[in-house]
Amino acid sequence: MIILEARNLTKRFGPPVGGFTAVDNISFSLQEGEILGLLGPNGAGKTTTLQMLLGLATATSGSIKYFGKELWENRSEILEQVNFSSAYTRLPWLLTVRENLNFISYLYKIPNRRERINRIKEIFQLNEIWNKEIMHLSAGQMTRLNIAKSFINSPKILLLDEPTASLDPEVASFIRDFLANERKQFQVSIIITSHNMSEVEELCDRVVFINRGKIIADDTPENLARTVEISRVTLFADEGHIQALENYCKKKKLVFAKDTARHITVDIKDKEIPKFLRGITQLKIEYDDISIERPSLEDYFLLKAKDKK
Amino acid sequence: MTFSRIYALLLRYGYLLTKNPDRAVDTFYWPTIDLLVWGLTGLYVEKLANNFQVVQIIISGIVFWYIIFRAQGEISVNLLEEFWSHNLVNIFVSPISFWEWITAVLLNGVIKALLGLVFTAILAFALYHVSVISYGLYLIPFVFLLLISGWFIGFFIAGMILRYGTKIQFLAWTLVSVIAPFSAVYYPVSVLPDWAQKISAIIPTSYVFEGLREIINTGHFDLVKFMISLLLSLIYLALSLIYIKNSFRKALERGLINIH
Repeated sequence: MIILEARNLTKRFGPPVGGFTAVDNISFSLQEGEILGLLGPNGAGKTTTLQMLLGLATATSGSIKYFGKELWENRSEILEQVNFSSAYTRLPWLLTVRENLNFISYLYKIPNRRERINRIKEIFQLNEIWNKEIMHLSAGQMTRLNIAKSFINSPKILLLDEPTASLDPEVASFIRDFLANERKQFQVSIIITSHNMSEVEELCDRVVFINRGKIIADDTPENLARTVEISRVTLFADEGHIQALENYCKKKKLVFAKDTARHITVDIKDKEIPKFLRGITQLKIEYDDISIERPSLEDYFLLKAKDKK
Repeated sequence: MTFSRIYALLLRYGYLLTKNPDRAVDTFYWPTIDLLVWGLTGLYVEKLANNFQVVQIIISGIVFWYIIFRAQGEISVNLLEEFWSHNLVNIFVSPISFWEWITAVLLNGVIKALLGLVFTAILAFALYHVSVISYGLYLIPFVFLLLISGWFIGFFIAGMILRYGTKIQFLAWTLVSVIAPFSAVYYPVSVLPDWAQKISAIIPTSYVFEGLREIINTGHFDLVKFMISLLLSLIYLALSLIYIKNSFRKALERGLINIH
């Protein structure tokens, strides 16, 4: 079931002539219980898109529907079921963690308010910082609190901007597990922007890739990675065989790098790997070890980011 | 309109009053200093001029002027506080509506202005035996008019901050002072030069302070002055609300995250 739908969304800044189009006629949807990655290089239009989805910016044209209802006509009703967390926004710095969650809980008119706050305190292990003022929190604690805050109203839709930035690997892993579990248990739908590609691969069912304000891809992380045809084959051998390998690569005009005297990396199309391996076997080139690195979402990201330039 | 969301912001500003020494300074420190300096000056002038009303006029001026000062400050400085703490985003991703936000800001202004009024009134009585209670029931319409003046100035400044950002934050502390000379807080409008009297005629607070002095001098409440002041205040309040709503719309066009 479609729970969020953006149609022909456009955002222009500045005058009609000489202005700048940050988001250019994009359309996408989010299914119930789906985790969608919104990716793109810096300045691609991700933040502007998030702002429009959250009602923090008006669209120049296009429509945003949550639960089948127009955002701007049903703003309060919709936002009661939505929340947002960003590593780059802060909570009032002079207030304690308790005071912040307390006043925010009233903003969302939460039933069983005290119970919910205590549950959030427990889940996100906020005990030790409960009475600390925000200005005394570390970046990691702040990010953890921001995510905790975004769950205060048990949202049906969550928009997360770099949710695990500044977190140590253990807490980041806990947050990822928590998000996956919330989706599984409560069918929470999540839109996530992140520069951590392995996180996106782990969490997201689908990725919308934005570049220069336009959607250039909308697919699963696996399918996007597959569009990058080049794999990286690394071979370890003695110096003589490495030399023979180097000659073979030059002859076949393959892109390679001789990292050490016993270690060579060859960039090669996925489907040509068997032919390459047959070729070196026929030349009686022996190797002690081999590793094949398949293209990842990060390779796709880097490729598309290069396109931007 | 949902009370829970309005209460959320009142709670947030309430926490702030106990946490931020700047806010306590604005609410308690400056009124105390003003009462001491100008009250003592008034006592001295009273002695020289043999006029027993000088102190009452000056002290009443200070006590009532701080109502405008606080009411506008609570609107503009609290908006600045949200900018400084990057909290505007957290507020506006929540279901709170623009008018709920405005109502919360207004109520907070009323609470803090009345808190300030009680504090300065007690201090004025303790130091100089000047009692604002002596204005009787007239106190209510005057306080109401001063609150409206504080609101429209506050909304106008807040609208400018939403449009132009924190680079014009100095207005939150200075703009209200611009109308002080024309409000005739401590002296009658008649002592102002002609051009200033013309400006004074379109400033609602001038009628309030004139009216207050009239009660001190004659015990008479001037209904005409009150009505002119009320009419002007309501017109300015409506204009300031239109202005802040427009500024908010402009801020949304630019994106609320970007205006930090």
